[in-house]
This record gives sequence, structure tokens and C-alpha cells, in this order.
Amino acid sequence: MPPVLEMRNISKSFGGTAALSGFSLTLKPGSIHALVGENGAGKSTLIKTMTGIHQPDTGEILVDGQPVTFRGTADAQRAGIAAIYQEPMVFPDLSVAENIFISHQNRPTLINWTTLNAEAATMIARLGVTLDPRRAAAELTLAEQQTVEIARAISLNVRVLIMDEPSASLSDHEVKRLFGIARSLRDQGVAVLYISHRLEEIFALADTVTVMRDGKHISTRPVSEVTQASMIAEMVGRDMAGRFAREPSKDTGETLLSVSNLAKTGAFCDVSFTVNRGEILCFSGLVGARRTDVGLALFGVAPADAGTVEIAGQPVTITNPNQAQSLGIAYVSEDRRKLGLALTEGITANITLPMLSKYTGAFGWLNRMRELTDAQAFRKQLNIKAANLTVPVGTLSGGNQQKVMLAKWLNTRPRLLIVDEPTRGIDVGAKAEVHQILRSLAAEGVAIIIISSDLPEVLSLADRILVMREGRIVGEFTGDAATDESVMRLAVAAEVA
Amino acid sequence: MTALRSWEGLLFAVLVLIYAVNALNSPVFLTPGNQINMFQLSVEKIIVALVMTFIIINGEIDLSVASVMGLAACAFGWLVQAGVPAGGAVAIALAIGALCGAFNALFIVGFGIPSLVVTLATMIAFRGFARVLVEDRGIGDFPAWFDTLGQQGLIGPITLAIILFAVFAALAFLILQRTAFGRKVYFIGANRAVAEYSGLDVRAVKAKIFIASGLIAALAGLLYAARVGAVRGDIANGFELDIITMVLLGGVSIFGGAGTMSGTILAILIVLALRNGMALENITGHIQTGVLGLLLILSVMVPIIRETGGRLIGKMR
Amino acid sequence: MRIPLGTLRILVLLAVFAATVLFFASQIDGYLNARLFNRISGSVAVIALIAVGQAFVVLTRNIDLSIGSVVGCSAYFTGGILIAYPDLPPLLVPLLAMAIGALFGALNGFLVARFHLPSIIVTLATLALFRSILVQSSDGSSITTDRLPTWLTEFATQNAFTLGELQIRWIVVISILVVLAAHIFLTRFRAGRTFFAIGSNPDAAAFAGINAGRTIFLAFVLSGALAGLAGFMFLSRFGNITVVAGLGLELKSVGAVVVGGVNIFGGSGNLLGVLIGAALIDVIDTSLVRWELVSEFWREAVLGLLILLAVAADTLLMRRLLHRKGGSA
Repeated sequence: MPPVLEMRNISKSFGGTAALSGFSLTLKPGSIHALVGENGAGKSTLIKTMTGIHQPDTGEILVDGQPVTFRGTADAQRAGIAAIYQEPMVFPDLSVAENIFISHQNRPTLINWTTLNAEAATMIARLGVTLDPRRAAAELTLAEQQTVEIARAISLNVRVLIMDEPSASLSDHEVKRLFGIARSLRDQGVAVLYISHRLEEIFALADTVTVMRDGKHISTRPVSEVTQASMIAEMVGRDMAGRFAREPSKDTGETLLSVSNLAKTGAFCDVSFTVNRGEILCFSGLVGARRTDVGLALFGVAPADAGTVEIAGQPVTITNPNQAQSLGIAYVSEDRRKLGLALTEGITANITLPMLSKYTGAFGWLNRMRELTDAQAFRKQLNIKAANLTVPVGTLSGGNQQKVMLAKWLNTRPRLLIVDEPTRGIDVGAKAEVHQILRSLAAEGVAIIIISSDLPEVLSLADRILVMREGRIVGEFTGDAATDESVMRLAVAAEVA
Repeated sequence: MTALRSWEGLLFAVLVLIYAVNALNSPVFLTPGNQINMFQLSVEKIIVALVMTFIIINGEIDLSVASVMGLAACAFGWLVQAGVPAGGAVAIALAIGALCGAFNALFIVGFGIPSLVVTLATMIAFRGFARVLVEDRGIGDFPAWFDTLGQQGLIGPITLAIILFAVFAALAFLILQRTAFGRKVYFIGANRAVAEYSGLDVRAVKAKIFIASGLIAALAGLLYAARVGAVRGDIANGFELDIITMVLLGGVSIFGGAGTMSGTILAILIVLALRNGMALENITGHIQTGVLGLLLILSVMVPIIRETGGRLIGKMR
Repeated sequence: MRIPLGTLRILVLLAVFAATVLFFASQIDGYLNARLFNRISGSVAVIALIAVGQAFVVLTRNIDLSIGSVVGCSAYFTGGILIAYPDLPPLLVPLLAMAIGALFGALNGFLVARFHLPSIIVTLATLALFRSILVQSSDGSSITTDRLPTWLTEFATQNAFTLGELQIRWIVVISILVVLAAHIFLTRFRAGRTFFAIGSNPDAAAFAGINAGRTIFLAFVLSGALAGLAGFMFLSRFGNITVVAGLGLELKSVGAVVVGGVNIFGGSGNLLGVLIGAALIDVIDTSLVRWELVSEFWREAVLGLLILLAVAADTLLMRRLLHRKGGSA
């Protein structure tokens, strides 16, 4: 059967970093094609290129063998390409039926609700699901909203449906139903591109699987010819040159933080671990493994429901960031722009924000000289490159923003530093610098928890690695004993074949 | 930062221009008497504009200020008429203002309803309470000391209200630009989540500025009552427009996080000089307000005009 | 059996409305009489029109604070034109008023939709600007009843039909027809649903290829046109138009919309609810004047608290509802 969509030699870079380089993919009608790769392998860039959000720098997109150019999502939609994401994009106030038919331009001006509801019901029934078309989308569960999105795609005569981590937030039962829908779409001749971190799903569902790594195509094979082990090897296999050297542990052996049976409904449960002064403990796992939720619970942003936390032998209940801070805990967020820094404010003001009281004299007067002195010290210590310390942090490069964020929390003199994705989206030079900063902090006796999806980073920094999957700790390695494959195998839940 | 500084530079240039034009048009404009009169006629609004600057930088809005002014003034009048000593009535009126602010804060901070909606409703409600108190009467006959404070110079020809404005302006500048509280106001307005993650007491800061807004508005209402020597139900009606215009014209972003107190003060001077100049030309109050409306639209459009202009220039090159 | 949320809202509103009427009936002697009905229905007609206009705007996540000034301007200019050309065909006059209103609305819509300016700022400014246009053009002189054609001043009290002692006036009939037409447009026409869509989820609307700018512009034009029609009725009811005509009506329109159950953050609402909201606000307004126990000056205070109560109840209720959903997901 001729392919419905072909991506040929697609390259796409952002600011000098190649997200896709010479990537090719062929999708055939009536098939479920799985796409796997580590975080940052270029999957989301690929999807955005297929749906017209990004335009490729070089390479060709062919639909039915004809070269096409997508200037926007509307063009891709007209060509029959649609995507559904982890977070459904629905109109909460509109009914299921309206959500399905909202972008239909050729429907009559006057709405006949009886017909519309009947057609929506048919559309939903084709997916083997029952759902009242009159209900408002806001009343639906996430899985039901996803179904509505799929129905919308089908109603637009979708020929290629991209499903990006659709199962990440669904229960087992809901995942089964989703699989049923995907299969019935395949049987109706749709090409489904299924993206998932859960390798076992790929064996249950797909007929072909493509592995990508660092923006490149690694392999495309029938599912019958691959094993979980072979996929993992291809996902992580990388040149030794890309590795950072390990350094000896600074672990003092003196326990600072001890967590037992920490749990939060809908996020994680049975999380128990300890961290020592001077130790670097890494949480590894895939996006959605709920590692960040553990960090947020320890920092009091989203407190845990159950479990105990001890700091230096003292039991504590952490309910808000202010209190966490006074216990000597600092949390460097993964989301610099939304949660980490106020981009329109200056470097100094951002650094001193959590410690304002330190610079405050009588009548709340700020000692701005002292602020500046401290900020200058951090600028030197962390090598922050900026014209001066009053420029808005939004004007700095990602690496320098990351350093400002570290400075902000180091300024609180933490005993425990939690760093979420310390080097996401920053260049190699800055990355090495950040790693060096974290190591020297450990050498000063700070207990460090790093949450990272970047395996080489984890392997080079960690004294100990905890692997999380779906809200649970599923394994532990010492830094020396861990390998790419052993960690990844636990993270994706592969039974070792 | 550079952009802000240049915005203030622009305001300053506009101010100089208005002063020059007014001075050329009318020999009266620059006389000390007129200059003092210019402040005196709007002194209540410009006092409230100072605290409104905090609120808008914090990412909120308070539409109820003029109604709080009216309510406090009417409460004062009602109390005096009921035989309460004027000193006590002043204290009670101020307390009522603070309570109005706390009431707003309860819905905004406590229940998480947007300040736009809450203060739109309380703008109507507080005004309503003012009318309940004085109905369609006018209440005057305040003690002489009260009227004197409002109408006669305290230091030379300069009235108490103008002195209070000068003191408050200095205080507001210092609090916003030089204290930890001011820093918090900016960060909460710029990015509330970052402020919360950094352990700031976001709700307390917001509650404080809304209560301060109520208190200051009540004080302004009393000053107005003293200046006019009487209160009516519609006292200070519609002042919120002037007040918000001054703040936005001063370069404070309606989305919060940006702006300075010096910008607001420059904008206050511009609005005063503009109104005074128009008044000297015998242009009525309604038209003056219309011109202010136009100015408000222009000031929110300036970033867009600048951008489009820049793009056009870029194209020409 | 589960009742849809929207229907439940209407039922609750009707119950509150009935309870309010019964309450006043128990307090005021001879409350439930035809004359009162005739009076109230006339002023509800005006409020309902501007509330419908406001509802279109609020559905799209915007607000129109200039409505009162637009009512005043269109009443004044329509009156002025009629005085200059008294022989204009009567049917043309309301259309003229609507066109004048639409022009003002178009300016609001242009500024909000084209430049993405916050509607609260734009309409706060045009509230003053339009009023000053009125002051400037009137130059202090007013439109007076005796200068207007008699057909116009009599129109407000002309009955379309009578039900026993109840007189159903033309302005009430027109107003109800407008509400129904707008209701049908919003519920049965594809173009009407876009108002809900862009208020409900602007991102998803952009994704679905909906032109948000055009819809928002249209909302403001409609709001202006309906304020214009209200201005025509205003002119007809009062005859004398001064520079303060329509002052404060924007607050009543927002009140009716919010009390009528339109979500102030856009995306949901029902015009039948808005009609009941308008009636409720006006009944309270008019009845307080006649209630001896409480001074009529409570009107504004009650209106403000009513709006606050409606928004608070709705917000907290919806939050609880969504929270429950979130928990079960």
C-alpha cells in the first residue's frame, strides 16, 4: 500500500541546536506506527513539523506522494493530519457534539441540534465508546475529553492521527479503551503514529516501531523483530565522547534527610529514601514519573498527604515554601520562565527575593548595597555573564538564567538543595559549569537531590540513583554501578528478556 | 529598565510642553495662586493615585476607590449631624474605609474572585451605602476647624491636603522603590507563582494594599468633604477614571509587574496641568474628562504605536 | 434524573425572582397590581436590551463599560436628528438609533480586537470620551419633549395588546423579540456558537481556525447597536434628554448579566437568564422605592451586593464542581 505521509530528510534547528537532523519517516494507511526515544530526542519537534506548527529548515513532506508545505495547523488539518496530546484541547463550556464539529466550515448556518447530536453519537460510537453528546466537556474525565478530540479528528476525515503520550494520565481501564480506539482507527484505514514511553504498550499495540535519538532516525522495524532490550539499547546508545567524567563522592555518611512512605493521592506513594550531607542523589525516570511531585512535596508547594519526613533527625511537617526554606530546603524549579524567575526584574532582585529579610533594616528599608555585594559575589562564583546586575533576567541566555536561579537558592544557604532538571535547554559549556557548581556544593556538605531526565548527566553526577516510574520508586543504583541501559530498563518497566 | 526610563523621559518632555503651552496661553497659569489651586482642586484624586499605583503594579485593580471616598465622606457627615464630635467622626470614617478595603480583600484574596469583578460590585454597593446615609440631602455645617483645614493654607497658602500629598508621595516612592514590601509588590505583579515559590506572603501583601487603598480613599474623601464644606451622595462620583488614568499614563502596566512611582507622579502633574490649562480656556469638566479618556487610550497604545513605527522604519531601511 | 447545569440556573433564577415578588407583595399594600406591572415592564425593556448587548461582550471574555454613554449619545443624537427632520419615517428612527450606537461600539471593538487592548481600559476611557462627545455637541442645550414629534413620545406608552388590565407595550414586545432573536442566534446558529468558543478556550479556538478578532469586534458592535435601540426607547419614554442621560446604565447591564448567570470569564451563559436577571434587578430597584420599611436609597447598595453575591456563589459553586471532577479523574 502506498504511504499516506512521508517525511524525507527533515532537519530543524533552534538557535544553532539541531532538534531534527536528516530525519525520515514513512506512515502507511491502516497501520499503528510507534515512535520511541529518550526525552529530548526530538519527538515533539517532529510532531510540530508534521502538524504545521514548525516548518522544516530542509527536507520534504509528502502526502500521497505529492510534496506539500504546511504554513499552519489548518493546512495540516486539510491534508488529514491531526494530533492529540496528553492535555486535551477542548472547549470546556461547549457540549461534546459541538466540540467535535467546531471546526467544520461546511456545516449549515443553522444548527439542528438533533442532527448534530445524532451525528456526534455516531462518531463516538465508531470509537466503540458511549458518551452523551449533550454533556459539557468540562464535566468529562481526561480520558473522555481525549475521546472527544479523537472524534473531532475523525470527523475531519483524519488520515494520519498522531497520539503524543496519550496514555500518560489515564488509568489502566482507560488505556485499554484507548487501545481499542486506536485499533479500530487502524482497521478503518487511518495511519496512527503512537508515541509512548511505556514500551510494553508498543508491543501490545503497534506493528512498526521507529527509534529516534538526538534528532536522528536510528531504526525502523516490525515490532515482531524487536525486543525491549534492543529498543532500549538503541534509545540510549551514545558515543562515549558525550559523557562527562565522574568524580569521587563527597558523601559524609551523615544522614540529613530521611523520608519514609511519603504519599500524595494521584501523584506518588510509598516513597522512602535518605540523603546524606555531601551526597548527590539523583531521581531518574521518564517525564510523568512524578519525580517533580516528590520535590514539590518536600518544598511544601504541594504538600504530601501521608508519610514522615525527618531533617537532621527531627521529624517535620512541611506545608509551605516559606517553612521549607527556614528548614534549610531550597528547590530550583525545572520551569525557569514560569516558576523560577521573574523575567522582567533584574538579576540582583531575583537573587535576593527569597531572602529579603536578610537585607531589610528598620521600617522595611532595603540595604541595596548589601544586595549588590552578594549578587556580585555570586556573579563571580558562578560566572554569570551579564552587562550588569540590573538587566532583566529575561535578556540573559538560558545557561545564565539557570545560574541566576542557582544563585537565588544558594543565597538561602540551604542544607538540602533540590534541583529539578538542572541543565535543560542550556548549552554544553554552561552544562559543565552547572555540574561543577553542584559538585563543589556537595563538597561543602550540602545534601543534593537532582531530578533529571538526562541520563548521561545522572550517570556522571550521581552518588546514588533512584529510579521512579508511575509514582513509585522502582529501583536503586550506586552511581558507579549504573549504566544507561540498566537505568532505562527500570524506567520503562521492561522485564529483562 | 531602559524602556521605562525613556517612558519617564517622554512624560517629562510632555509635561514641559504642556506647561509651556499653558503659560503662553494664559498669564495666570504660572502664578503661585493658580499652581496651588491646580493641586488643591484635584488633591484627593492624586492622593488615591499613589496607592492605586501599588495595586496595579501588584496585578490588581480597585474600581471602588471613588465610592469609598464618597462613603467615608457621607459617613462623616451623617455622624456629625447625629451629634458625634467631628474628631471621633473622622476616626470612624477612616475605620469604615479600612473595612471597605478589608471587605474587598476578603473576596479577592480569600475567595479568589478577580479584583475587577469584586470592586466593580463594591463600587456600586459602597456608593449605595453612601446614599443610604445621606439620601438626597446635602450635609454641611461642619465644625469650623474642619472646614478651615480643608480650605485654608496651613503653611503659607499651602493646604493640609497638599502637604499630605507631598508627604504621601515621598513615602509611596520610598516604600515602593526602596523597601522589601515594595519589592514584593513588584514580584507578585510580575509573576505570582515565582513569588509563591520564593516563600513570599502573597495573600498578606495583597490584603494589605487593598486595606491601605480603602483607608487612603477614606482620608481623601474626608479631605474632599473639608474642602467643599459639605457632603452629598454623589460626592467623588466617577473619580476612579481619573485616578486609573493617571496611574496607567505613568507607565504602570495594567497586567502588573511594571511601572514606577516617579512615572505616576509625572503623570499626575501632566493630568493636573492639562485640566488646569483647559479650565483656564473655559473648557467644561465633562470635556476635560473626555480628553483624559483619549489620553488613557493613547497611553495603552503607545507600546503598539512604537512597535509598529519601529517595524515601518525597519522596512524602509 | 440529572438536570443540565444551565437549566438549573434558570430555574434557580426564576425561583429567586418569584420569591422576590412574593416578598414585596407581602410587604407593600396593593403591590401586585396592573399599573406597577406596566411601569416595571417598560424599564425592564430598556435594561434587557443593554444586558443582551453586554452578554455578547462578556461571553467573549471582555466587558463594555461604555454602554451608558452610548445609550445617552444615541438618544441625544436621534432626538437631535428628529428635531431637524421631523418628517423622518418612524420605522427608520429606531434603525437610525441602532446605527449610531453601532458606530460607537465599532470604535470599542476596533480598539480591543485590532490592538488587543484590555477592554476594561478601552471602555472605561470611551465611557468618558462618548459622554464628552455628548456634552460637546449638546453645548449644554437639551432635547425636550415638546420639540419631538408626538408619535415618538407616545410610542413608549402604546400597547401592542392588553391582557385584562395588563398592558403589553410595544417597547416590551420589541425588547422580548430582541432577546428571543439573540437567544436563537446564540443557541442555533454556528456564528453564535463562536462567541462561546472563544470565551471558553481562546487557544483551542485559534487552533480550530476561529477568527477571534472578528467575533470580538462583532460583539462590541452588537452591544453598541442594542444600546442604540435602548437609547431610542429612552428617548421615547422620557422625551427630555440631558447630558446625564443613561449615566450608570453600564453597571445595571453588568449586574443583569452576572446575576443572570453569564460567566464573567466568558464562555457560558444564557440570554433567558439574562432577561430574568434584568427583570430581577429592576423589580428590586422599583420595589425598594415603594417599600416603606426601608429607604429607597438602598437600591444601589442592594444591587452591588447582589452582583457580588451572584459572582461569589457562582465562582465557589463552579470551583467545587470542577474540583470534584478533578478528584475523580
